[in-house]
Amino acid sequence: MLALQILIDGFAIGALYALGATGFTLIFGVSGVLNLCHGALMVAAAVAAWAAHTEGAMNSLASAAVGLAVSVALALATFRLVVRPIQRSPAVRAEEREIFILTATLLWGILIQEAIASLFTSNAKTVPPLIGGVTLLLGVRIPRNEILTAILCWAVIGVLWLWVNRTRTGKAVLAASMNSRGVILLGIDLSRIHVAVWAVYGLLAGVAGVLLGMFLGVSSYSVGPLTASAFSIVVLGGLGSVYGSIVAAYAVGYLETMTAYLVSPAYRFIPALLLLVTVMYVRPHGLLGRR
Amino acid sequence: MAGTSPVRPFWPVLAILALAAFLPFRVSGYVLGLLTLAYYFGVFAMAWDLLFGFANEVNFGTTFLIGVGAYSAGILDNRYGLPIWACIAAGTAIAVIGGLILALPALRVSGPYFGLTTLVAVLLLQNFVVIFSGVTGGEIGLVVPDVITTDAAGNYWIALALLAASGVILTTLSRSAVGLILQASGQDRIQAAALGFNVTRHKLVAFSVSALFSGLAGSFMVFYMGTASIGTLIDITIGVQIIIAAVLGGRRTIIGAAFGAIFLIGLTEILRPIGEVATFIVSAVALVVVILAPNGLTGMVARKAPP
Amino acid sequence: MSTGLPPLLSVCGLTKRFGGLTAVNKVDFALWPGEILGLIGPNGSGKSTLVKLLMGIEQPSDGSIRFDGAEIAGLSTHLVARRGIGIVFQHSRPLERQTVIETILLGLLPDSLFHLSISAEHRARARAIAEKVGLGAVLDRRPSTLSFADLRRLELAKALARDPKVLLIDEPFAGLTASECAEFSALFREQRSQGKAILLVDHNVRTVAALVDRVIALCLGERIAEGKPVDVMRNEAVRRVYLGGAIEASPRNGSGGAGAAPLLELRDVGVRYGKALAVDQANLTVGENEFVSLVGINGAGKTSLFNAITGFVPYSGEILWRGQPVKGLSAVRVARLGISHCPETRELFGDMSVRENLDLGGQRRSKAESDDRLDWMFELFPILKSRQKQNASTLSGGEQQMLAIARALMTDPQLLILDEPTLGLAPIILEQLSKALDALRQTGKVGVLLGEQNVTFALPHADRIHVMDRGRMTWQGSPDRFVHEAGAKYLL
Repeated sequence: MLALQILIDGFAIGALYALGATGFTLIFGVSGVLNLCHGALMVAAAVAAWAAHTEGAMNSLASAAVGLAVSVALALATFRLVVRPIQRSPAVRAEEREIFILTATLLWGILIQEAIASLFTSNAKTVPPLIGGVTLLLGVRIPRNEILTAILCWAVIGVLWLWVNRTRTGKAVLAASMNSRGVILLGIDLSRIHVAVWAVYGLLAGVAGVLLGMFLGVSSYSVGPLTASAFSIVVLGGLGSVYGSIVAAYAVGYLETMTAYLVSPAYRFIPALLLLVTVMYVRPHGLLGRR
Repeated sequence: MAGTSPVRPFWPVLAILALAAFLPFRVSGYVLGLLTLAYYFGVFAMAWDLLFGFANEVNFGTTFLIGVGAYSAGILDNRYGLPIWACIAAGTAIAVIGGLILALPALRVSGPYFGLTTLVAVLLLQNFVVIFSGVTGGEIGLVVPDVITTDAAGNYWIALALLAASGVILTTLSRSAVGLILQASGQDRIQAAALGFNVTRHKLVAFSVSALFSGLAGSFMVFYMGTASIGTLIDITIGVQIIIAAVLGGRRTIIGAAFGAIFLIGLTEILRPIGEVATFIVSAVALVVVILAPNGLTGMVARKAPP
Repeated sequence: MSTGLPPLLSVCGLTKRFGGLTAVNKVDFALWPGEILGLIGPNGSGKSTLVKLLMGIEQPSDGSIRFDGAEIAGLSTHLVARRGIGIVFQHSRPLERQTVIETILLGLLPDSLFHLSISAEHRARARAIAEKVGLGAVLDRRPSTLSFADLRRLELAKALARDPKVLLIDEPFAGLTASECAEFSALFREQRSQGKAILLVDHNVRTVAALVDRVIALCLGERIAEGKPVDVMRNEAVRRVYLGGAIEASPRNGSGGAGAAPLLELRDVGVRYGKALAVDQANLTVGENEFVSLVGINGAGKTSLFNAITGFVPYSGEILWRGQPVKGLSAVRVARLGISHCPETRELFGDMSVRENLDLGGQRRSKAESDDRLDWMFELFPILKSRQKQNASTLSGGEQQMLAIARALMTDPQLLILDEPTLGLAPIILEQLSKALDALRQTGKVGVLLGEQNVTFALPHADRIHVMDRGRMTWQGSPDRFVHEAGAKYLL
C-alpha cells in the first residue's frame, strides 16, 4: 500500500514539477533567458486565484482563470520591461547580457514577492480545489484534486507538444530555438515569436502555480524555493532539453516522495540535492543537456 | 602600473579613509553600527568584483563562500570554544577550500551554467545548514558566545581596517602583473593560453583570493554580530545585493564596489521609515540601474574623464 | 633552408575528425628554420583547423606533430606556446581594457602566480618590440582608438614578444592596403632572416608568391600539392579547385536580361566591420529574372555585400529594391520584400526533418500555395523527396545545400541570393546543383544573384558576371568576355 501511495503521490508531484520546469526550459531554449522570477510568477497566479475566491467570491474555476490571466500578464511584463531592454541595451556587452538578465529577473522576482506580501500579507494561502472529495485508486485514498492535478499537468504538456509540433506558430518557435537566424531568413517575425513564447510561458507557470496552490498552498515566502527547485531540476536535466527537464522532474519528485514517506518529511530534499551535486561534478551540462 | 584602468587618484581615497577613522568621535553608535555592516559588505563586494571584473566569471555564490567561512568560524567557537583569532583563521581557510571545491565543477562550464552552478551551491549550503541544525542552529541561527568587543567604535575601527586592508591588497593585486594576466585570462582565454599562460590555474587563484576575503570578512562579521543565520549570511537576496553594490559602484574598479556597498546600505537605511515598501524601492532602483546604467556610478564619472 | 638539418616542425599523418566530418585528413609536411612556408586553400579546406591543431587549440584525432625533437600533439595551448610556437590570429583579438604597451608586456611575462611587479627591463623590451612593428606612437592607447592596421600590428607584436621559434601567421593581409602589406612582408622577412620558421596561411598563392619559399595547398582537408609557388600555381589539381576546371562559356538560352526592369540596385555600397573595410564602393544591378554571378575568392567581400542587401549589417551608400530604398529595414522586412538569402552557412534547422524545414519556408503562404511549391521543389531536387522524413542534420553536405536552396525558394522570392553554394561539395553534387539552377532559370520566375569562387560553376547560367576583389568590384561584363579577358588571371 505504501508503495502505491508513493507511486501515486510521486507521480502527481513529478507532474507539477515537470510543468514548471518545462516552462523554464522553454523560455531558455527560445529566448535564451534564465528567468529567475519563475517562482514569483507561480505564486502570483496562486495568490491571485486565492484572492479572486476569498475576496472576489468567485468560484474555483473562475478564480483559476484569474490566476492564469495574472501570470500571463506578469510574464509579458517581464519580457517587455525587464528582459528586452537589457537584450537591446548597447551599454551591456554581449557576453555579460545573460548575467545581467539573471540578476534583473531575480530582482524583479523580489519586487513581485514584496508586492504580494504587502498587498496580501505573507501568510500561507490555499487555492480552492477544482474538485473536492476523496476517491479510491488502486486501493489507496487519494484526493480527487490530486488526480486532476496530474491529469491537468500532463494535458497541458501534451497541448504544448501539439502546439510546438503541429501548429505553424509552434513550429516557428521550435525552429527559432534551434536557429534564430534561419527563422529571420524565412521572413518570420522573431519578435512576435518571442511574445508568443512568453505568453505561453506565463500560462504554464500560472497553471503550475494555481495547481500547486490547491495541492500544497503557497505564500510569498515560497517564491525563492520554487524558483530554486525549478532551476535545480532544469540544471539536472540539462538546460535547453525539455525531455531532460521532465525526466529530472520525475526523478526529483520521486526521490522527494520516497524520502518523505520512508525516512522523514524533514529530509525530503536531501537525495535530490545529492543527485544534483553528483551530476554537477560528473556531467556539468546535465543529464540530457546539449551545448 | 601607470595608465591602467580609470582609477581614483590615491590621495582622495586616503583622505576619505582618514575622515572615516575620525567618525566615531563625531557620530552616534547607531550610525557606527550601520557603517560597520556597510564596511563588511564592502569587502564582500570588492571580493566579488575581483572575480567578476578580472576573471570574467560571475560568482553568484559569494554568498556560499561567506556562509562557509562564517559558519565554520561560528561553529568552532560555539562548540569547541577556540579563541577568536583561531576561529577566524580557520573560517577563512575553510572558505578557501570551499572556493576550490566550488571551482572544480564551475570552471568546467561557462556562461549561464557557471552562474547556475554557483547559485545551486548556495541552495545546497542552505539546506545543509537546515538539515544539520544540531550543529548549525538550523533556521533559528547559531549563537556565537564570544564577540571581539562590545564597543561600537572598536567594532567600527576593526571593520574599517579590514576594508582598507582588503581594498589595498585587492587593488594592488588587480593592477599587478598577475592582475594583468587575470584580466587577459578573463577576456580571451585562448589568447591568454597562446601567450603561454595556464588559464585554469589563474582562474583558480582568482577564485581562491575572492574566497579568502569573503570568508575572512564573513568570519569577522560573525564575531561582530554575535550570531550567524541563513537570513543574514546565506540568502540569495544578499548575493544579489552584493552584485548590485559592485555594479552600482562600477565593475572592475574594486574601490567602486566598496562605495557601492556603502551607498546601498545607506539607501536602505534612509528608506527604512517608509516600512516594507523600502525593500521594494531599493530593489526597483537597483533594477533600473542594472538596466539603464550597467557601468554604475564610477562608470558615469569615468565617462567624463579621457580614456 | 633545409640541407640535411632536421626540420624544426614535422607533421605526420595529422587528422582531425568532427563527428562524421573529416576536417584534416592525413596531412604531412615539415618546416625548417629560416624559411616561410605558405599554407593555402579555399574556405573549408581545413587550414584554420590545421593551425588550431598545431597550436593545441584543438586536439588531433590521429597523427603526430613533432617540434624540436619532441612530440607535442595533444598538448594544451599554453604548453605549446611555452615551448616556442607563437600564433598571429586571423581576426584581431585585442584586450579592450589594456593599452598597447600593457598588451605587449603580457607577452613578456612569465606564467607565474607570484610575479607582482613589472621590471624596467620588461618595459624597455616591450617598447622596442612596439617600435619594431610600428606602434611606437600609440603605446598608451587602447584598442578601441586604434586603426585596423595598428590592431594587426598589435597582434604581431604580441606574438613576437614571446620570441617563438615557429610563428603561425593566419591570413595576415586581409584588409590591409598595399603599402601595409609590404610593411608586414618586410617584418616577416626579417623574422625569417633571424632563423625563425614561419607558416603563413592564406587563401591563394598569388598574394603570397613573392614572400614564401615553399607552398602547401589544401583542399577538403587533404594536401593536394606542394612545391615552389610557381609550380603550385600551375598544378592541375590546384587549378581545378580554384577555377573548377577548364573555363568555357556554355551556351545559354533565354533572355539576356538587358533592358529588364531593375530589381535590385546597389549604388556605392560600403560595409565596414569596425575598422576593416569589407566592401568598398560596390555598384551592382540585378534585373527582373536576371541571373548575375558575382565571382571572387573567399574574403573578397561577397558575403558582406549580401548581408548588407538582406539587412543583417549596416552599410553606406544606397540599395534600392524596385526603385525604393531599403536602408534601415530590418532583416525580416527585407526578406518579406521578396529577397531570399541562402547564406554560406545554410542555417538549416538541424533537428527538424527535411519536410518541416521546407514547410517553414512556405509558412507565410497559404497551405495550398505552399503545397504546390513543395511539389515543384521535389521536382527540382528529387533526392529531397526521398529523404523528406530525415532530420536535416543527418543529410550529406550536398543534400543540405539543396535543402537550403529549396527552403529559400519555398518563400516564393523574386530574388534568390546564393552565397557560395558549392563550398566543400564534391564535383558530382555540383552537376546536380547546376542542373537544378538551370531548371530554375528556365522557368524565368526568379532573379538570381550568385556569389561564387568556383568560376566554372558560376559561368554557365549567368547573364552577367561581376568580379570582386578585396571589397571592390573590379570587372563586369558578359560571360564570353570574362573568358577572354579576366579568365585565369584574377585567381592565380
